[in-house]
Amino acid sequence: MTTTKAPSEQKVIGQRAPRVDGGERVTGRAVYPADLVRPGLCHGRILRSPHAHARILGIDTSKAAALTGVLAVVTANDFPIVPPGTIIPFGETGADAWISAVIVLARDKVLWRGQPIAAVAALDPHIAAAALDLIDVRWEILPAVMSIAAAMAPEAPLIHPDIKPKGFDAGAAIPRNVGARTLIERGDVAAALASSVAVGRVAAVIDTGHQGYIEPHACIAEADPQGNVTIWASTQGAFQTEIQTAVLLNLPQSKLKVVPLEIGGGFGGKITVHVEPIAARLAQKCGRPVKIVMSREEMLAGGSGPAAAAEIEVAVGATADGTLTAIEGRYFYDTGGLPGTPTTLVMQASAAHYQCPNIRLEGMDVVTNKPRTEAYRGPGGIQAAFAFEQAVDELALSLNMDPLELRRRNAAVTGSMMPIGTPFPPLGLTTVLDSVAAHACWRDPLGSGALPRGRGLALGYWRGTSMTSAAQVMVAGDGRVMVSMGTVDISGTRTTMAQVAAEEFEIPLGDVHVSMGDTKSAGYSDAAAGSRVGRTMAAAVSEACRDALGQLRGRAAEKLQAPPDTITYASGVFRSARTGDASLTLFDLMRATLSDGAVIGRGVSTKLPFGVEVGAHVCDVEVDPETGQVTILRYTAFQDVGRALNPMAVEGQIEGSVVQGLGWALTEHFDYAADGRLRNASLLDYRMPTALDVPAIECVIIEVPVPGVPYGLRGVGEMPIVPVAAAVGNGIRRAVGVRLTQMPMTPERVLRAIKGSNFGRLS
Amino acid sequence: MKTVMTLDVNGEPREVLAEGRDTLLELLRDRLGLTGTKEGCSNGNCGSCTVLLDGEPVCACLVLAAEVNGARVTTIEGIATGNDLHPVQAELIRHGGTQCGFCTPGIVLSAVALLARNPRPTDGDIRHAIAGNLCRCTGYDKIVEAVAAAAQGGAP
Repeated sequence: MTTTKAPSEQKVIGQRAPRVDGGERVTGRAVYPADLVRPGLCHGRILRSPHAHARILGIDTSKAAALTGVLAVVTANDFPIVPPGTIIPFGETGADAWISAVIVLARDKVLWRGQPIAAVAALDPHIAAAALDLIDVRWEILPAVMSIAAAMAPEAPLIHPDIKPKGFDAGAAIPRNVGARTLIERGDVAAALASSVAVGRVAAVIDTGHQGYIEPHACIAEADPQGNVTIWASTQGAFQTEIQTAVLLNLPQSKLKVVPLEIGGGFGGKITVHVEPIAARLAQKCGRPVKIVMSREEMLAGGSGPAAAAEIEVAVGATADGTLTAIEGRYFYDTGGLPGTPTTLVMQASAAHYQCPNIRLEGMDVVTNKPRTEAYRGPGGIQAAFAFEQAVDELALSLNMDPLELRRRNAAVTGSMMPIGTPFPPLGLTTVLDSVAAHACWRDPLGSGALPRGRGLALGYWRGTSMTSAAQVMVAGDGRVMVSMGTVDISGTRTTMAQVAAEEFEIPLGDVHVSMGDTKSAGYSDAAAGSRVGRTMAAAVSEACRDALGQLRGRAAEKLQAPPDTITYASGVFRSARTGDASLTLFDLMRATLSDGAVIGRGVSTKLPFGVEVGAHVCDVEVDPETGQVTILRYTAFQDVGRALNPMAVEGQIEGSVVQGLGWALTEHFDYAADGRLRNASLLDYRMPTALDVPAIECVIIEVPVPGVPYGLRGVGEMPIVPVAAAVGNGIRRAVGVRLTQMPMTPERVLRAIKGSNFGRLS
Repeated sequence: MKTVMTLDVNGEPREVLAEGRDTLLELLRDRLGLTGTKEGCSNGNCGSCTVLLDGEPVCACLVLAAEVNGARVTTIEGIATGNDLHPVQAELIRHGGTQCGFCTPGIVLSAVALLARNPRPTDGDIRHAIAGNLCRCTGYDKIVEAVAAAAQGGAP
């Protein structure tokens, strides 16, 4: 690929540009699917399983269908069977459409409470709700397993008897309800641990959490008499919604159009379809547009995919001088009712940022009768780091070594080996750690207060993905630049991509317009996931800009009557050295040549080098030993972002990540009853942080560029949630001397840990 | 049972036919088409549906339409003057205080109500005023900065 300008020469990249679409957002004009109305619109509602594990013996929808105002009723019988292993395109690995199918509608068996079993379209939502009450379902209730331990027990009921666990050696004992086992191993961990001078160990239990996007899932689907279906969606990937829905409906993909509207937060939870195929089938059946909007209770209690609970055991060994000798980790992730949550990224997330000769990481996804989990911002990373970075802290305590010094001594560097055996591309972890050492948040002593205080440090790592992104750049008749992208805007992508196009064309940001294309107007792009959109869309936009500029150069040569290779372009003006000072502005060139045909630049990026994300978080906490209440006094987040396309957007990602992480670290968890009922299915009881619960977050942005990526961009948005809970846990440990191994670290748990310790009794 | 409700919405007199079970949120979104007010939980826990009822911030999902007969309601659509943004709106954009935007209308209304009763709020006052508005994207810092800047910028 062509080179990009040095950061010092960049005029728009690196600017704190406000959101180009900010005006719509602050005035309520931005349109989310729930806001849209179509002529003849009717309303869909979903009947959900009241059981965590049960066989469906029969569903009688006749009374519901007969209710006045009901327009259509669907059950799984209205959808084709999508068997396990129905692989559809998604990134480098693909995805199994069977997972989506079961999440959308149960067929013979329900696997979690809240799983959809039927749906109704009616003239208004109240009639639809009344119709749901008229659907008779006959059940055979099966025993449910609600935890990792219960699911793996020898006597546990098998949730998927037909599915063969993957990744086990022949003849090995296979625990029950495991989807797959993953092993990353090098060296001899057992021997290395045995000969280590000190070993830090933590066995952690993490509860299920939720992404907590404020916009509930919603869509409108409309079918026309020619068999075309349009879906207006709130999705992280319009094409992923299109492909999943096409397979689930057995509809040619070309007959489906997904129009991405604004998305009110996703964080990983809006990649898999939930309501879209149901709305589409209802719309096909009744011939009218159907809107489905989930309630918050539906979303929390089985209607959307939460983030995985986990049980993780970690041991980290070192020599007396603090050189790591061994890392051993066992990771059990509660994938919910369907297998297939990969643990490999997570395992790497907890150990990759250290150099260590002996590593053994074993991961399993365990199926339980909970909602199928879905991605949540660096999926699995915060859980893994909660165990791992606390084990490293234990090691520091046991070696009586400064925790930052221990990490500096072992930090991964450019060229050191990742656990998967490939060398690290350029990586700024040591720069990050040097910045921590020099920063007041680490240097300044932690002042004493009325209550015990502690300072926690934790590192974070996330590899991120590449996948593919497509953009087209058109030049308007007035010389302004119009970018259409195949990805959605979940994090200010319109703004950052306008910055890329403005930089490439050397024109003001205001002369660029960026829009999200729908699946019939934009090129295939994978979902906004895996910290990839900023990087890969920047690559696509920059390529498309250069393509368009190349076309314009040809036209300019013709108009200036000079050979194309003599034409230079800068700041919106073409010049030819050959013809003296003759020049043409973009405006003049487009005015003169608009009728010669459209200028359309094409940009497709795929398989970019990894934009490995690394960072360090420092967290000062205060713990009330009487109540167990933890207060975050100060929080500083350091991150190598390669190059900050827009520092304000980068800070926004970091600050948002940290606060999400603090929520899960301290208060957020799903409280399941033994029968699978979620006891806290509201935002009062599923307690996300408010503005009063969190301090100001200070961000320190470090820029060590990645070669081979335009502007050297790394991923940004996932890493900063990874170290948060561990940083808090390490702070608590240093405040009151107890190690919290359950997440969230609720006041009750903190208090229990303190009461079980010697804290306060010696003084 | 439907009733004709007469109320002032964003300075305009409106007559709306409302059902007894309608909430103010449904009245605004479904009957008046004012979809800038968002529904995030319908339990009064997220604050996305914050509007001003006779000048006071309320969760529109917790108010019955029947209660607003004769009342004055201000929604996000009534905050800017034409295309001239209210300082809270302008500063939210300038400081990066809106990301996905779904909570933003509610935040704007809470902040506008704060500045009306306390034109020089501390950061603590601002955090307290928006404590009923959940935001999952920003981590709140940039919202607090924006509201503080709007207060500094003079009377709204």
